[in-house]
Amino acid sequence: MNTTPAALALKLSRMDMFQSIPEPILQELAQKSGIVRKQAGETVFLKNEPGRSFYLLLEGSAKVHDDDYTVAQMTAGSCFGELALLDEGPRSMSVTANEPTLLARIDREVFFEVLGDYPEVMQKIVGLLTRRLRYQTDQTLEQLRRREEELTRLVDERTTELMRQKEEAEFQRAKAEAEKQEAEYQRRRAEQSERFEQQFLANMSHEIRTPMNAVVGMTNLLLQKNPRPDQLRYLDSIRQSSDALLVILNDILDISKIQAGRLELEWTELRAAEILEQVMTTLQFRAEEKGLEFRVECDPAIPPVLTGDPVRLQQILINLAGNAVKFTEKGQVTVSAQALSTTGTGCRMLFEVRDTGIGMTPDQLAIVFESFRQASGETTRKYGGTGLGLSISKQLVELFGGRIEVESAPGAGSVFRFEISLEKGVAQSKSETTAAEAAETLRGLRILLAEDNAFNRVVAVETLELLIPDVRVCAVENGREALEQVQAMPFDVVLMDVSMPVMDGLEATRAIRALDGPAGAIPVIAFTASVTKQEVTKCLSTGMNACVPKPFKEAELIGALMDIVIRNRRQPTAETPESGPAANPDPPPASGVSLDFLEQLTGGNQARIRKYLGMYLESASGSLSKMEAALAANDHDALHRAVHTIKPQLRMIGLVETADLAQEIETQVLEDSDPASLPEKVNRLLDAVRRSVAAFKQYLQEMKDS
Amino acid sequence: MAEAQKKIFVVDDDNMFATMLADHLEEQGRYTVSNYGTGEACLEHLGEKPDVIILDYYLDSNVPGAKNGLAILQAIHKAAPAQKVIMLSSQEHYGVALQTIASGAVSYVIKDLQSFKEIDSILAEL
Repeated sequence: MNTTPAALALKLSRMDMFQSIPEPILQELAQKSGIVRKQAGETVFLKNEPGRSFYLLLEGSAKVHDDDYTVAQMTAGSCFGELALLDEGPRSMSVTANEPTLLARIDREVFFEVLGDYPEVMQKIVGLLTRRLRYQTDQTLEQLRRREEELTRLVDERTTELMRQKEEAEFQRAKAEAEKQEAEYQRRRAEQSERFEQQFLANMSHEIRTPMNAVVGMTNLLLQKNPRPDQLRYLDSIRQSSDALLVILNDILDISKIQAGRLELEWTELRAAEILEQVMTTLQFRAEEKGLEFRVECDPAIPPVLTGDPVRLQQILINLAGNAVKFTEKGQVTVSAQALSTTGTGCRMLFEVRDTGIGMTPDQLAIVFESFRQASGETTRKYGGTGLGLSISKQLVELFGGRIEVESAPGAGSVFRFEISLEKGVAQSKSETTAAEAAETLRGLRILLAEDNAFNRVVAVETLELLIPDVRVCAVENGREALEQVQAMPFDVVLMDVSMPVMDGLEATRAIRALDGPAGAIPVIAFTASVTKQEVTKCLSTGMNACVPKPFKEAELIGALMDIVIRNRRQPTAETPESGPAANPDPPPASGVSLDFLEQLTGGNQARIRKYLGMYLESASGSLSKMEAALAANDHDALHRAVHTIKPQLRMIGLVETADLAQEIETQVLEDSDPASLPEKVNRLLDAVRRSVAAFKQYLQEMKDS
Repeated sequence: MAEAQKKIFVVDDDNMFATMLADHLEEQGRYTVSNYGTGEACLEHLGEKPDVIILDYYLDSNVPGAKNGLAILQAIHKAAPAQKVIMLSSQEHYGVALQTIASGAVSYVIKDLQSFKEIDSILAEL
C-alpha cells in the first residue's frame, strides 16, 4: 500500500469534504497526518472517549458499533470521525478493526494549523461538516429509532407468543375442565337415570308380581281341589306359563341388576350336593318327558359345607342344564361337580353341564353369552326363552370369580364348564323340620292378614288354611284396619302387605309398634312384591320382623312363620301362656335393651361399647332436659329437634322400640296430627330414655366392677 | 402394596353416631376420618380435598341456626362440583332423599342399624 504523502493527498482529494481544497493544502495535510495499523479486533477508538482525530480507512475493514450492536461496516475509502474536527466532545460510537487494517489519521490540531491560513476553505469545510453533523444525528436517531422499533417488535413478538402459549394453555385447561364437568354431569345423569331405572324396575316387578301372585296362587289352589282331567290339563298349562313368565321377569330383573353392577352374591352356607339334587328335581321331569336321561354327579371329595351363594349357583346350573334339556332331542344331559383341589380352608371345583344335543356352529358360539341374543330368531320361536339366561349365567360365574367356557360343534352336543373356588363353611345347626313338623308347630296359629288385593287375599288365606291345621286367619284390606284389629283381639303374627291404600304396611307397623302392651310387640311379617334390598331394609327398619317376597313360596312363608313362632315361644308374652317356659340363654344387660348391634359393629370390643354408651348417656341427659322443656313450653319445633336428635342414638344403642316411638312422635309433630296424644307419648319416651340411662349406668358400673 | 388411605369427612352434630361411624371406618384401615359438628366447619376444611364427605341432613341441634345438610351440600358443590357426598339422615321421607340426590348427593343413607354396612358398600363402589 502506498502511504506516501502524495498518494494520501490524492485519496483525500477524492473525499467530498476536501474537494475544492487547493493541492498544496492537501499535500501539507497528508504530510502531517499519521498512519495507523490495527490488527483484527483491535480498537481504533472507543465510545465515550474524547476524540480529536479524523480517520480515513486506507486498507482492510472496520465496524462502527455501539457495544455489541454494529451500526455500520467501513471499507477502504470510508472516513469517520470527521466531526472530531469540529467538536472535542466524546465519540458516540466505537470503531474496531475487522482484519489487519490501515488508517490515515488527521489530528484536530494539525487540521486547524494547516487550514488556519485559508479561512474561506475552512468555512466551506465547517459548513459541510455541520450539514453532515445534522444529517448524521438524524441518521443516528433514525438508527436508534429503528433499533428500538426492532426491540419493541421482538419484545412484542415474544410477548404475543407467550400470550398465545398462555392462552392456549388456558384454553386447553378450560377445555379439559369443561370436559371434566361435562363428564361429571353425564356420570351423574347416568347414575340418576340408573337410580330411576332401578326404581322403575322395582315398581315393574311389583306391578307384575302382584297379579302373578294371584295367578300362581289360585292355580295351585285349584289344582288341590280335585279338578277334572281336562281342567287339570288347563291348570297345568296355566302353571307352566306363569312359571315361565316369572322366569322371564326374574331374568330381566337380574340382567338389569348385573348391568347396574348391583347384583351381589350372598355368602352363606352352600352345599354342592344339595344344589345338584335341587337341579335334578327341577329338571328331571322335563328331561324325562322328552325321553332324555338326566344325571347329576357330585364328587364326594367336595367338602359338604362351603361358603357361597347357593341360590345363584343353583340358578347358573339350572340355566345351563335347562338349556341343555331344551336343545337335546335324544341321549342325555349330565350335570357334574368335581373337586380339583382341596385345601384346609377351601376347595376349587369344576362344574360341567354336558349334553348330546344339536350343538352350535362357531358363529353361534361367538355370541352365545351375549344378552338378548339367541342362535337365531328361529330358535326363539322354536325353543322360547328370553335369551338372557346364558348371559346371566356367565356374569354370575364371574361374580363367583370364575369364567364360563363352552365347547361345542353342530350335532356333537355342547359342554359348558366353569371353575370356582369356595371357602369351606361351618355347618349351622339347622333344625331340619319337615313340613309335617312345621305344620304341627304352627297348629292353631292366629294370623292377621292385611292385603288390599282381593285375589291375593283369597290365595293367602286358602294357602295358609291348607298348610297349617286349625289356623285362624283374619283378613283385612288395609293398614288402618290391621291397626284396629290387633287392638281388638289377640294374634300371634301379622302378615302385612307393604303397599296398601288408606294406610300402608310401613305406617301401620309403626303405629302398631307404638301401641302399649303385647299388641305393640306382635311380630309383623312384610308381605311385599318389591324385592330390592332397600325395600327389605326399609321394612326391617320400620319394625317389621321379616320379609316374604310375593309371589310367596310356601316354604318361605312357613319358614318365616316358624322363625317367628319359635322365637316367641322362647320369650313368651302374656298372651301365649301355653308356650314353653321362658329361657333366654343370654339375658341382655338391661331390660328391654339389646347390645347385639353394638357387639356386632365393634366385633365385641368392650372398650368401644363402653365409649359409645358413655356418649349416649351424655347426650341423653341433654336430650331429656331439652324434651322436658319443649314439652312444658309446648314448643313443637324444639320438641321435634330434640326427638330427632336422640332417635338415631336410640336405634344404635339397641333401643329399637323406643326409637320407633321417637319416630312416631317426630312424624306426628311434623304432620301436626293428633296433638292431644302427644304429651302422653312424649312422657312415655322420656320414661323409656330415663330408664335406659339408669340401666346403662348400672351396666357400665357392673362392667367396671367385674 | 397398601392402597393410599381415603380421606373421609363425617359431618354430623350427633356426636355418638359420628364417633361410631368414624371408629367403624378407621378400624378398616383404609380411611382417615375427620369429624365436623357443623357444615360450616366442614366447608372451612374443603381445601383438604376429602375423597368423600358423609353429610348429615340436620345439623343444628347443638348450634342453633347452623345450616342444614341440603344447604351445605349445595355450598360444597358450588366450591367443588365433583365432590362426592353421601347424605345421611334419620329422615325417612322419600322426598328428602330425592331432593338430596337431585342436588348431587351420591347416595342417601338412612341412619339405622344397616347404615354402617350400607356406607361400607357405597364407599367400596366409589
